[in-house]
Amino acid sequence: MKRMMLVLAVLVLFAGSAFAQGTTKLEGTIKLGGIWTLADITGKQGSAAAQLAVDEINAAGGVLGKKLELIVVDDEGKADKAAAAVEKLATVDKVDVFVGGMASGAELGKIPAFKKYGKVVMSTGAAGSATVEKALGPSPESDFYFHLHPWDYNQGASYAEGWDAIQKKYPQIQIKKIFLAYEEGAFGKSSWDATKVLFGSDKRYTIDGASFKSALLGGGDYTAVLEAAKAFKPDLFIWAGYDADALPMLEQAKAMKFSPGIYLGAPPGWPIGFGSSKLARNVMLYGMWSPAINDINPVSAKFYKNYIAKYREEPATYFAPLAYSAVYIVAEGIKAAGTTETGPLVKALEQTKYVSPLGEVITFKPSNIIKHQGITRQKILQWQNGIQEVIWPFETATAEPVYPFPAWK
Amino acid sequence: MNRTLVRILLILIAVAAVALPAFAGDYPLQVARNIMLYMALAISWDMLLRSGQISFGIAGLFGIGAYAAILGVVRAGMPTWLSIPFAAVFAALVAFLIGFVILRLRAMYFSIVTLALGEIFRIIVHNLHDFTGGPEGVVMQQGVMFGGNASKLYWLVLAGLLVAIAASYWFEKSRIHFALTAIRNNEISAKSSGVDIFRWLLLAFVVTSAIQGMLGGIFVMSYGFAAPDVVFSADFTLLPLAMALLGGVYSTRGPIFGAILLGLVAEWLKLKIPYGHLVVYGIMIIIVILFMPQGLKNLLKPAAKRAEGRSA
Repeated sequence: MKRMMLVLAVLVLFAGSAFAQGTTKLEGTIKLGGIWTLADITGKQGSAAAQLAVDEINAAGGVLGKKLELIVVDDEGKADKAAAAVEKLATVDKVDVFVGGMASGAELGKIPAFKKYGKVVMSTGAAGSATVEKALGPSPESDFYFHLHPWDYNQGASYAEGWDAIQKKYPQIQIKKIFLAYEEGAFGKSSWDATKVLFGSDKRYTIDGASFKSALLGGGDYTAVLEAAKAFKPDLFIWAGYDADALPMLEQAKAMKFSPGIYLGAPPGWPIGFGSSKLARNVMLYGMWSPAINDINPVSAKFYKNYIAKYREEPATYFAPLAYSAVYIVAEGIKAAGTTETGPLVKALEQTKYVSPLGEVITFKPSNIIKHQGITRQKILQWQNGIQEVIWPFETATAEPVYPFPAWK
Repeated sequence: MNRTLVRILLILIAVAAVALPAFAGDYPLQVARNIMLYMALAISWDMLLRSGQISFGIAGLFGIGAYAAILGVVRAGMPTWLSIPFAAVFAALVAFLIGFVILRLRAMYFSIVTLALGEIFRIIVHNLHDFTGGPEGVVMQQGVMFGGNASKLYWLVLAGLLVAIAASYWFEKSRIHFALTAIRNNEISAKSSGVDIFRWLLLAFVVTSAIQGMLGGIFVMSYGFAAPDVVFSADFTLLPLAMALLGGVYSTRGPIFGAILLGLVAEWLKLKIPYGHLVVYGIMIIIVILFMPQGLKNLLKPAAKRAEGRSA
């Protein structure tokens, strides 16, 4: 028992030192607290891109005569860990602004702590409006929160708009029947709900769908959902899942000789090297950014070049330029406000007009509940010769669509 | 003398635990809340294990309690403080009903069924979309309990932990201990000695389920939302299990030490190795289970006995 008490005492001392010190802090810096799920590619590359932005801004002289400092904590995609990350960054590191975020479940864990500290949050993820936007609440209680990523209903509306525009411009593309294969979690279910409302409500499209268990969560057998889709004979087949589903689902579609007019994937990120697979040919996707935008957008080209130079890998997810944009927007806001105090900073950020690497100028407007919503449109892209080409919006298009999706040989 | 010293130390630890908010910031309090929650789950898992039944249903009952609490508040207008005992009673009732069927099973059959039950609960919640919010979950519009006050939320979780510890000591110090140990050692001998096996197993299953449901209620009241992927997460089964195994099973002390050690190490690794801590943490758990299957408690026991022998 005495030994046990000794062990306990050592643990308490160990805990004290660990939680009191936190990370090494630089004096006289403006601190950004970054919270991402670092085991996931969106978090790994998002945090790396945010650090790249910090380095660029510091190399250009910093903000208000001070250097920026990014302190990153992993939320492990869990609500309780995410809450602890906010507490650590707010009380130990004493950050001035928060950036980051991806999964809605983890974001929900952060919201009570965010509200407690009231510091500006530049959120790069969490699309679940039914929970996250509701938990944030209306203005003014959520005015500290700037949501860069589109909400699920923004995404759905932009897809409906995009397909209407594509069918108008390319009469050979005609869509009457849409099938959505969606992963059974919150992400997939919210995609299904939005698809039914946005495409099915005016009866212009016939909608059907079925859920599957994502390979990321222990699934990986898509036979049932692909059989249902094949029997439905859709003009547009969409799957809403994760990067781990991309290749196995295509393999199984090939084995079943399922080749709809349009085969489209909507994961938050694609597996690295997906474009080099023969299976990827002419697969369409929803997203916000692709390296093809470099040809028409110098900010994107600069981001891409510097990211590869620093990390020796290609950004494989739009969360990288999104996090990069988040840091630049915050930096410009602090410059304009002349302070990191929440009130003036919120006012300054409301005037944001940031020319982003995502191919659009980011401003903040009210969404259904909160006051500060950034991007509201996603893009429709297509894998062509190993590159994600932008098909719509036409003002940022980099290629014409290849239609139909080729039959399997 | 030794016993007196231990008692004084225990009292000091208890006082320090209650008074922690007076001298610790919100971050250590949040970490302590996370550790205490898993500690209480680990203790509850161990309590049933003392009968020889290995349950993998912690996350299922935790999730049931979480949803009972939040739906009680959101749909029935229940006060938040009442939702936590309601979660415990609801989980106990569910355990009582299913216990009649599954407590006829033994060994891996019982384990597999408890694992499946958790998945069944999750699927039910997924599909009752209008009532439970489906996969997206449900949010408490009025916000979290105590307005998010870190000290009060800490004491809430501490109270939940004390309930688990008290129940565990009740199991250890009362005749329940003899009944469960007899069942674990040899059911036939226990039965021939007059132990009503089913009754004691049902009691253990219902009490541990009530604790797990209560903790689910505390969790959702602390964060203001419930989503199936969050509250039915396998973490709520696997981490308590690893904590109990690390500390040493069949006691209250083992899961307590295991939870403190694993909880602190996990947080420390996260800060020191942000991009690779989960790999190190996983390897550490594997090594501990491979080389210390009896847990820290039993590893230290012979050393403590030797020391006592020398001093005598």
